[in-house]
Amino acid sequence: MKDIATIIFRLTISCLLAGLVMGAAFVFTNKAKLHNAEQREQQVMLGLLGYSAAAPAPETLALHPLHRYIVTSGETSAIGYLVPVKGREQAGAVFVEISLDGAFLGQQPVSLAAGQAAEAGARDAAIAAALGAGKSLRYADQTIIVTEAGKRRAYLLSGEFPGFKTFIDVVLALDPAFTVLGLEIMEHEEDPGLGGEIVQGYFKNQFQGKTFEALKKLGVVKTPLPEEYRRALEPAKGGEAISPEEIARVQALYQDKDIYALTGATISSRAVTSGVKAIAGKFAYRLAILDKVLAEQHIAVPF
Amino acid sequence: MRQTAMIPRVLIALVLFFLVPGVVLAEGLVAGKDFGEANEIIVTFSQSPDRQTAGDPANYTVYEEQDPDIRLGAERIVLSEDGRTATLVFAEPLNTTKPHVVTIANVAPGAESFRVTKPYLGYLVTILISALLINNFVFTKYLGLCVFFGTSKRKDTAKGMGVTFTIVMVVSAIMSWFFYQFILKPFDLNFLQIVIFIGLVSLTVQAVDTVLRKVNPILFNAFGVYLVLVIANCVIIAVPLILADNEYNFFETFMLSLGAGGGFLLALYLMSSVRERMELANVPRSFRGVPIAFIVAGQFALAFLGFSGLNIF
Amino acid sequence: MATDKTNLQLVVNGILNENPIFRLVLSMCPAVGISTTVMNGFMLGIAVLFVQVFSSCTIAIFKNKIHPRIRIPTYTLTIATWVTVIDMVLAAYLPEAYARMGIFVKLIVAFAIITMRLEMFACKESVTASFWDGIGMGLGFMFGMMALGFVRELLGLGTILGYDVLGFKPLLFFVLPFAGFFCVGLMMGFFNWIELRYKRAKQGA
Repeated sequence: MKDIATIIFRLTISCLLAGLVMGAAFVFTNKAKLHNAEQREQQVMLGLLGYSAAAPAPETLALHPLHRYIVTSGETSAIGYLVPVKGREQAGAVFVEISLDGAFLGQQPVSLAAGQAAEAGARDAAIAAALGAGKSLRYADQTIIVTEAGKRRAYLLSGEFPGFKTFIDVVLALDPAFTVLGLEIMEHEEDPGLGGEIVQGYFKNQFQGKTFEALKKLGVVKTPLPEEYRRALEPAKGGEAISPEEIARVQALYQDKDIYALTGATISSRAVTSGVKAIAGKFAYRLAILDKVLAEQHIAVPF
Repeated sequence: MRQTAMIPRVLIALVLFFLVPGVVLAEGLVAGKDFGEANEIIVTFSQSPDRQTAGDPANYTVYEEQDPDIRLGAERIVLSEDGRTATLVFAEPLNTTKPHVVTIANVAPGAESFRVTKPYLGYLVTILISALLINNFVFTKYLGLCVFFGTSKRKDTAKGMGVTFTIVMVVSAIMSWFFYQFILKPFDLNFLQIVIFIGLVSLTVQAVDTVLRKVNPILFNAFGVYLVLVIANCVIIAVPLILADNEYNFFETFMLSLGAGGGFLLALYLMSSVRERMELANVPRSFRGVPIAFIVAGQFALAFLGFSGLNIF
Repeated sequence: MATDKTNLQLVVNGILNENPIFRLVLSMCPAVGISTTVMNGFMLGIAVLFVQVFSSCTIAIFKNKIHPRIRIPTYTLTIATWVTVIDMVLAAYLPEAYARMGIFVKLIVAFAIITMRLEMFACKESVTASFWDGIGMGLGFMFGMMALGFVRELLGLGTILGYDVLGFKPLLFFVLPFAGFFCVGLMMGFFNWIELRYKRAKQGA
């Protein structure tokens, strides 16, 4: 009996000690982890716009997050946008509800402290409070509208679609006319060396410069990538330097062509192409509706 | 005696459990709905509707469940001879991994709305086959190798280890699922995952050990010695980590753990069959034993690569 | 019962005589799975070193207070605690390396080598001896992983630590996961061959 008592006592002490150590480590590292994740996102977004450590973004550049929700009350659903607004004293946020057919349903002011909008929990709670009872919220996605000195400069969309293996996470940058500014692959589980090559410049940079019309009809061809195109797509690599005029010439030449598939990874190439088309197409449709509603209702937005 | 009679009853119960919902849904206008080719949805009506309205694409509203504002317009509707089946053909291929909602107006009183998804049973079987073959834990994910090389010398050891492992795997995965859903997630204690999961595994091993000793000593003599090795197996903790990451529900967890155990048993059995033969082969001195086993395992892994990307349902 | 070896001998023992990967044939999963580049091997080696050293020291400190019947659960608890800590630290401060290693950092808890070392060494020896033995084992593991990573990265991608050395990819399949089996098998055979030659030379002399 005494044996079992000692065993249980010692085991409990060990568990408590272990719990303390892990808890302490958690408290220290959690903040750093969240901070790092944010930093990475910022870097990727600025990189897509063409900025880096060597060429930093100007002061007048502002990133406005636009969060989309699906609001369900009973049987009917509607789309809701959390839109930042320009106020007389300070910036605030408004939740705009739009029916599935694009008609304006209503708007409610949402009280959010600065910096709280980034936290999903605080955001959802504030919106639910503004909407009142009887409506349930489901978070859909987030778009970042980039303005420079108040004028729209780019849209940053994140999306996820099925690839050859599981899912592929991307961030897509579009300019105000919905021409592709850049594509960045965030996460994927494709085979290294085959489908994993979608992260390489010579594949994902092929999307740069494709107009919205070209994007709608974009296909994938299984012919080899021409050498001059490859060099223009990856100017940093390769032995000899390539002049900007040459790059521009080659880009213009291949602007309206289809995407050249990766060797041995046709399915991954097709998945990325159709995923990008879907993301861009859906966004263009939704933004047109939102802009119309914002204009009609005279909601003052900073973008 | 009673044990063997239980198994067919359990199987019948499982089959009915999956089929009954399908039967119940058969009432109402829509008798069946399915994805056809990559860009088709096939709707089967219980009574023939008016050909004019059923064949008009404007009466059908289709969208993916999570994007209700993006309407996918059907290009044309193809009606079968007797008018009972309508095939909605779309211009672009559909994303069949997501459930779609179809609403038919003007055909019956009020609009008839229903979901089209790939069959859930198919999804469960896909998880099972994936863990068994496509993402075999030994040959595709390279886990559990120490134990694998240690116990694959003879067919008997292989079978014993495989069966013991499957049992412990299923039990501990289900317990881990309960712990994860009801304790770790609600209280935001995800950083305790590793400790809790390995603790549950040790508990299961201890429990199986005790139960087996008392209930069936013969079986214990055959399999008991492998129980200790189960804890050193990377797969036993990889499966709970995966199910926590993917937020599987109970049935999906069961299928995953069954597939993981089954895949391990399959890998062990294949390997032991080859290694028994290799004992008689003329292997160079420096390669005898473990090195040649690694090279054989590499060839198996190469063969299993052929399952990659397999998509049954 | 204290060990006769000096601290340096303990470390060297971990790297050569009782190298976890090539001699003791333990902890094969990461050796096969993610030894695709030298950097991966190095990072995981650091993680294992950390867990091994801290676990060994913890058990050596508490060795008199551990009841013999709950030895194994105590070892498991210690290892799991330190693995959780290193997992969180890596995720917070080295996110890219952590993403590449994936699930393998969490799996360190199931590595047989660490439990074995605690069972055979740490529960009997002093704290300093356990510390140096832990360092030796960790370094041995790191060395094994880096050697594998070197071969696979050079032959598969033509780079070393990310620097393009060859300029082309000689045998791409070396980076694909299954080639880990071939590499480990070949290297083990190679080490065995060296050992056989050494023994034969010693006998002959």
